[in-house]
Amino acid sequence: MSASAIFVLDLKGKVLICRNYKGDVNMAEIDHFLPLLMQHEEEGLLCPVLSRGNVHFMWIKHSNLYLVATTNKNSNASLVYSFLYKLVEVFTEYFKELEEESIQDNFVVVYELLDELMDFGFPQTTDSKILQEYITQEGAKLEVAKSKVPTTVTNAVSWRSEGIKYKKNEVFIDVIESINVLVNANGSVMSSDIVGSIKLKTMLSGMPELRLGLNDRVLFALTGRDKGKTVVMEDVKFHQCVRLSRFDSDRTISFIPPDGESELMSYRINTHVKPLIWIESVIEKFSHSRVEIMVKAKGQFKKQSVANNVEVRVPVPSDADSPKFKTSTGQAKYVPEKNMVVWTIKSFPGGKEFLMRAHFGLPSVENNELEGKPPITVKFEIPYFTVSGIQVRYMKIIEKSGYQALPWVRYITQSGDYQLRTNV
Amino acid sequence: MPYLGSEDTVRELRRSLSNPNVQSDQLRYRNTILKVIRAMSQGVDVSGLFSEMVKACATVDIVQKKLVYVFLCSYATLNPELSLLVINTLRKDCQDPNPMVRSLALRNMTNLRLTSLVEYVEQPLTAGLRDRAACVRRVAVLGWAKLHNLQPNSEIDAAVVNELYTLLRDPDPVVMVNCLRALEEILKEEGGVAINKPITHHLLNRLKESDVWGQCEVLKILQRYRPQSEDELFDILSLLDASLVSPHPPVMAATLSLFLGLCSGLPAVSLAALERVRGPLLAACGSVSREMRFTALCHIQLLLRSIPGLMGAHYKRFFCGYAEPAYIKQRKMQVLVELVNDENVAMLLDELKGYCTDVNTDTAQAAISAIGRIGRSYSDRCLEILTGLLGLKQEHITSAVVQTMRDLVWVCPQCSDTVCVALEGCEETLQDSQGRQALLWLLAVYGERISSAPYTLEVFIDGVRSEASLGVKMELLTTTMRLFLCRPAETQDMLGRLLHYCIEEETDMCVRDQALLYYRLLHCGIEETQKVLQGRRSDPSLGVLIGRPAESISQWACSFNTLKPLRQSTIESASRGSPEHVTFDPKPNTDLSNTLNCSQIEKLHSVSDSTSECTDSSADVLTSSVAAPLSLSLTPALSPEEFERLWLQQQVLHVEQGAEKLEKEEDYVFLVERIRCPVIVHCSPQSLQAAMQLVNIQTLAFTPLHTLPWRVYLYTHTQHAQCGGASHSTLIVGELLYTGEANQRVVVVKKCMDNGNVEGRQEEQVEEEATATGLSGRGSVRRYGEEEEVKVTLKQQPRDSKALKGFLSILTTVLHTLSSERT
Repeated sequence: MSASAIFVLDLKGKVLICRNYKGDVNMAEIDHFLPLLMQHEEEGLLCPVLSRGNVHFMWIKHSNLYLVATTNKNSNASLVYSFLYKLVEVFTEYFKELEEESIQDNFVVVYELLDELMDFGFPQTTDSKILQEYITQEGAKLEVAKSKVPTTVTNAVSWRSEGIKYKKNEVFIDVIESINVLVNANGSVMSSDIVGSIKLKTMLSGMPELRLGLNDRVLFALTGRDKGKTVVMEDVKFHQCVRLSRFDSDRTISFIPPDGESELMSYRINTHVKPLIWIESVIEKFSHSRVEIMVKAKGQFKKQSVANNVEVRVPVPSDADSPKFKTSTGQAKYVPEKNMVVWTIKSFPGGKEFLMRAHFGLPSVENNELEGKPPITVKFEIPYFTVSGIQVRYMKIIEKSGYQALPWVRYITQSGDYQLRTNV
Repeated sequence: MPYLGSEDTVRELRRSLSNPNVQSDQLRYRNTILKVIRAMSQGVDVSGLFSEMVKACATVDIVQKKLVYVFLCSYATLNPELSLLVINTLRKDCQDPNPMVRSLALRNMTNLRLTSLVEYVEQPLTAGLRDRAACVRRVAVLGWAKLHNLQPNSEIDAAVVNELYTLLRDPDPVVMVNCLRALEEILKEEGGVAINKPITHHLLNRLKESDVWGQCEVLKILQRYRPQSEDELFDILSLLDASLVSPHPPVMAATLSLFLGLCSGLPAVSLAALERVRGPLLAACGSVSREMRFTALCHIQLLLRSIPGLMGAHYKRFFCGYAEPAYIKQRKMQVLVELVNDENVAMLLDELKGYCTDVNTDTAQAAISAIGRIGRSYSDRCLEILTGLLGLKQEHITSAVVQTMRDLVWVCPQCSDTVCVALEGCEETLQDSQGRQALLWLLAVYGERISSAPYTLEVFIDGVRSEASLGVKMELLTTTMRLFLCRPAETQDMLGRLLHYCIEEETDMCVRDQALLYYRLLHCGIEETQKVLQGRRSDPSLGVLIGRPAESISQWACSFNTLKPLRQSTIESASRGSPEHVTFDPKPNTDLSNTLNCSQIEKLHSVSDSTSECTDSSADVLTSSVAAPLSLSLTPALSPEEFERLWLQQQVLHVEQGAEKLEKEEDYVFLVERIRCPVIVHCSPQSLQAAMQLVNIQTLAFTPLHTLPWRVYLYTHTQHAQCGGASHSTLIVGELLYTGEANQRVVVVKKCMDNGNVEGRQEEQVEEEATATGLSGRGSVRRYGEEEEVKVTLKQQPRDSKALKGFLSILTTVLHTLSSERT
């Protein structure tokens, strides 16, 4: 791993905050970072690793910040990027938004966090739940001798403190699936997959032991049951609380949950899904005069379900003007700064078909710049429905004190990277 | 804000820090300290406040302590004396009942990075190793590593090392991993922490307890372990199997790396492991973070070098999203080129065609050159697309297309008819020098078939006065000369004008000399000129040779999961000249360098990798014929002068095989062999060179075709691929000789110690020198009457018969391949 130092820079390349972990790379090297970045960008050779002499800069960009790790070793790139993204994750959980302002407003906490996250170039405590136990923003408001020993740092169950109490014991389970689709201009689906995640909001007292049952095909095959619909999950990723050994041996998902909100697991399903909202578009561009757009959207899901807040984003040429719209439902709006028309449909029942026509004027003097061919993108959300058919069959909650607890389950399907290419 | 002058700020801060009223009010005191830190973060030099801040660290407020420590650690090196004052407070904190305070104090004690303080730090660190709280032990363990890093030459305290080894069994997984990290640092000189069987098994059993970071660390260190028996090996492998498909890309990559290391002797198992990681790797390619996607792509490229078909069915996963950054798109295209097969070629080309009009010109050009690469196997479809692109009349697209066509035609001369037709009229859109150079080259080679060639040329010649690019002028001279040879009537006048301008008015010496050379050449008569100018033609056999053999996994296994694959980047677009210029180029042929791996990139970047790893720059071809995993490499390049020196020196040694030279004789081996390979002499120098370069043998110089005696001088470096350890490398210099009348060829190859980081220089001059000096009175040349037999003489230093045999068999195979293609 071995990052020598971590920097947070603003867009002008000014260091907002930094931490020198190893002292084997001159801290002044960072001054070369932005010029190097600019130079590479100009030459079209931009890449997540920049090097100057034997110093390598590995960087990511987040809102208006650059997070940079320097090293002079041939270190493990994917690990360094993982760490930088971990930083983003931790900071975001602390400050809601990670941006220049939040870094400047909270630099004390940032220093504290940087101190705990890494030591001598090696990641140490990176779980934000644990960090929040002993590094709090209230610390800046002075409570003398805020010196409670965080048991979690040394605890066997590092993600949950003891002695949590709730009046009403509940756990909320959200099953969220996002669909990624890429459709070619001729209407053929180039690629599609489902990325799912199961999120928990735990409001349970004590140290409860939970067991989650899904309609997992491998599990059903193991136990010899094959009734009903099952799903095959790939790349299953669990929160650290889940006992992996048990999952590996008998596919049981058993765990002591972290308190509050957390992502229990994520998975990917690589089946060919029918795009839930199908778009047909005809974009005709008459040079020097006008652009005519016709978009047809069709809900290819069950009639009982309804897609909410559907947004169809149709690209238009950057020099288009005087928009005119006609829609069979919903509203169309021209967003000139993004060069697109956004067609919003508040509720879109399954099996229905809607139409939108748009008309734009084009200037007689043609724009010489080469324009890209951005795809049409769609955003939507379908509640009470999962594309994959995944189901929570049970959630067992066992605690020493023997209280009754209620599990609540909610399913949502939403659009992920949902792109349909156009001809123009 | 009073930030106009930092001096004012510092003075202001100092006043309030030393104000007793502020000091007594905890809140105000802390706020003042906050201001100091804020000023420090903003780049104000507040080092002058050091002594005031030292006082501030004696407090019960843990946040204030942390802030002061941040300050002290930043400026300690500037104030070593004053830092001594802090130590007392820190040591007191190490006794604090609160483990947070203890760990904080320990961490900052070691972060001060002052050698003068080491004696005060050692005692608390030793105590810290035995602390009850795990968080203190974590810090203490790494503290020792920091201490050693501060004084790398100091003696290693055996007691501490022993204690650290014991702590590998600590119940806290982070302490365990930190121990590994610390021991790696402290025992760097001895090759890192000792990994024996009990430690390995202990680490493997506890692997699951660690977080992602820890797992990667453990997996990396375990790479040094060599299982004692096959049973043990397979036990370890099955234990690791779950990690191999871990959803965390770093863990998956680290596990694969370990797998490849452990199974280096079991290629079947390695291949199975690669198959197994396909899923997770593809998943990583679709990860949200673009950097992770990029890293995954780079590593997939490595894998494809050994198993080109690994991702064949999943080519759609490498289609580019609209908003993806250019570096990802370009990598994806490089992968796509590798994945092309009969089923997906139509789909793939269709997709690539879409990228050719990308807004980003670099991406567009990369897409066009990717189509060109596919064109080597599917030329008709690709030429159709390329020709279509010319119709767009876009400057950068046309330029890229013409360059791609030039490169394509060089390896697939059968495409030339289509290209000649397509070229008509595209000179109007061409603006940049690279594109125009490519066009000129095409005009020169296929001038007789392009009807408008003289007119196109005339435009260039008329504009030569305002031409800025040296490359274009040089190319223009050659093109006009060549065109003159095939279409004298139309070109004579403009050639005259061009030569006149270049000789009389041109200020650049290179152009002028070139023009003078051509002028004098013309004086020698048309036949001589023809011989010089039309010597090099593309050879259809190139198309056969261009196919890349699969590399062995060991070639890249050691750079897997490091920074290196990310750095071996897109050299494709960088400075490409005409294909035939390669003869004078010390680097490998630009066309071939893409199909070979990145030996020239290697040369550019290897400086930056400080860790000693074996260079995987060589194309390990024909491994089947080599017993040991031997590989050849062109880097470091050998300059002609150096070559000559070595050659002559060796020769002298060989000639006077006196007794007094015995010890020197030990250093090298001299070997004479005969290879049966008919008609090799009639093979064009280009094909020979291309073939040699394919296996990373550099031909340094050769006599022209059909001249006798026919000679080729060559060199290469042999390398035993040994992961982790330093590779054993030697240099081979050699000569191929064909004496004509006796119809025999002698290959004399010498091998001596690789002492050269000598950079390659222009190799033209040596052609004459080497031929003139190298061959006087060789005693070793044995004559053979038999027509088809060729003698090879090998010399080696130091003795390494395995490598020598390996090299010989590679050379033999190349010569055989070439001569079989000829017959």
